Amino acid sequence: MMDRWRWQYWPLKTKLLLLTLSISTLGILLVCTSLVVVENENYQEQLESELHVIADILAEQSAAALLFEDDQQLSTIISSLRQIGTIEQVCVYNVAGRVVSALDESDDASCPALSVPPEVGFVGDYYRLLEPVMLDGDIVGQFYLMSRLEVLREHIRAFILVTFSIGIVIQMILAWVALRLQRLVSEPIFQLSDAAERIARDHDYSIRVPVYGKDELGRLGSAFNEMIGTVQQQNLKILQSRDELERTVADRTSELSLANRELEAFSFSVSHDLRQPLRAIEGFGQALEEDCGDQLNETGRDYLSRIRTATVRMGGLIDGLLVLSRVSRQAMEIKQLDLSAMLEEIVEELRETTDPLPTYVRIQPGIRVVGDGRMIRVAFQNLLENAWKYTSKNGERRIAVTACEASDSITVAIRDNGVGFDMKYVDKLFVAFNRLHTPSEFVGTGLGLATVDRVVRRHFGEIYADSSVDKGACFYVRFPSSIQK
Amino acid sequence: MGMDDYSILVVEDNPDDQVLTMRALRNASRYNPIIMLEDGQEALDFLFGTETRERSEQVESIGVVLLDFKLPKVSGLEVLRRIRSSPKTDWIPVVMVTSSDEPQELREAYRLGANSFVTKQIDYSKFSEQMSLLARYWLTVNRVPVMGVTRSFQKGGDGE
Repeated sequence: MMDRWRWQYWPLKTKLLLLTLSISTLGILLVCTSLVVVENENYQEQLESELHVIADILAEQSAAALLFEDDQQLSTIISSLRQIGTIEQVCVYNVAGRVVSALDESDDASCPALSVPPEVGFVGDYYRLLEPVMLDGDIVGQFYLMSRLEVLREHIRAFILVTFSIGIVIQMILAWVALRLQRLVSEPIFQLSDAAERIARDHDYSIRVPVYGKDELGRLGSAFNEMIGTVQQQNLKILQSRDELERTVADRTSELSLANRELEAFSFSVSHDLRQPLRAIEGFGQALEEDCGDQLNETGRDYLSRIRTATVRMGGLIDGLLVLSRVSRQAMEIKQLDLSAMLEEIVEELRETTDPLPTYVRIQPGIRVVGDGRMIRVAFQNLLENAWKYTSKNGERRIAVTACEASDSITVAIRDNGVGFDMKYVDKLFVAFNRLHTPSEFVGTGLGLATVDRVVRRHFGEIYADSSVDKGACFYVRFPSSIQK
Repeated sequence: MGMDDYSILVVEDNPDDQVLTMRALRNASRYNPIIMLEDGQEALDFLFGTETRERSEQVESIGVVLLDFKLPKVSGLEVLRRIRSSPKTDWIPVVMVTSSDEPQELREAYRLGANSFVTKQIDYSKFSEQMSLLARYWLTVNRVPVMGVTRSFQKGGDGE
């Protein structure tokens, strides 16, 4: 609250006015004081010389009377001084220093003894004067005069009054003029600050300030206008390039969605149109085998069976490609997932469809990940199917799934006791159509791990594997926690 | 009306699939009539064309429609939508049959009121199995409402 009274909160107008008034007040004070001092000096000098003239005249007149010790004559001469009201005391001394005649206004004051020379000049409220009385070059006595200074005091008092009255009038005129003239300086600054405030508030860069003259204020105004002009242009450019950018983004987005739609149409066609002829080949192959099988010899039936096997394998490849393309493009629906429960389900399905090998699967309960349920299922289905497949030539099947949680991620490990692989081929593992085993060893499309990799990467995670031949394999899938939003 | 009187309406544009489907269905149900139509427009003409007594009887005796998803001219989904929006046909069981297993197709088919959705298997023995299951279920297990005028007329006049 008190801040408003502090100097930096004052308006510029007030500051300028105050500045001008302080300076003029100081000037007027100095002038008045000097005038009073000078007047005082002059008046004192004048008074002094007047009194000296009077004293000289009286001393001259009283010289003869003093020589002849004519007291009567002396008294007459001195008493003529009574007419001058301010003279308080006059004493005339003979050569020996004795008072021979005196004029006293007040009785209590007696003439000072000359044995101690009295103070002369302006002392206190009096002016004192001691002059020798000369006759033909000889000192015949002393003349002492004491005058009151009330005239001087009166005069100076009146002078001070007049001087300072004039000073005050001048100060008032100056204040009025300053009030008018400060606008010359403060008005452009006020307009400048007002314009700057409006620009800052409304972002209206078309505002300009009027420019007065060619002085610093004028230059400030032009520089300000120039600066705002530049800002206006740059702002315009920024807005233009933003619009352009938005258009570009919109174009790209529509291109992208067009490409996406085309890709979807492509997958749709692939799934329909590539499978149909395959189905026909396979179907008629079987029909041929069933209906006309007895007209073929052993070789013919073998060829036919090979055609049918190849057809089914190609069907598997198409299915694999479709799954891969689907996990690459489909929109994700991120949710908290109970991975352990999902894996148990997958394992149950696998147990129903495959070989009667003794199988031990251990899945750590309560593993939770965040992701798209369908995609995560596709990924782990592939991983578990692989574990199942590559353990099928063992005496028994052992699969373990564990999870390890870190501060920023969770890593799920799937370990099996299968045939494993040579780590020097680990780079090929996740590339589509790359297989580390021949179809006669293990059937497969070469798309499973590529699909897993795609799913994991779409969840911003990573997958890596560790194995050695005939020592089993372990696949690690790491999901970052940051996707958990 | 015996179960052998229910017919199977197949809408399938591909000639190979027509033959293979026919073969598989014949293996499963030897006596039921199989009506084979080649595209969506033909199906609409059959179901909603000029109403003769013979045609009405044919429509009312449909036990199940095997409708291909992808058809020239009028799509399978459109045919399904038309079947469901007419009181004359909205009771007919429709099985969508497709080569693919796109999740969107499944969703859309059920949204429009398909009774079942089947992906044709490439392995013909599996496909045959599918067809025979479908025929057995829809023609022998499933029940459809007994329809109005024609059927009651047929019941009264036909001394079987």
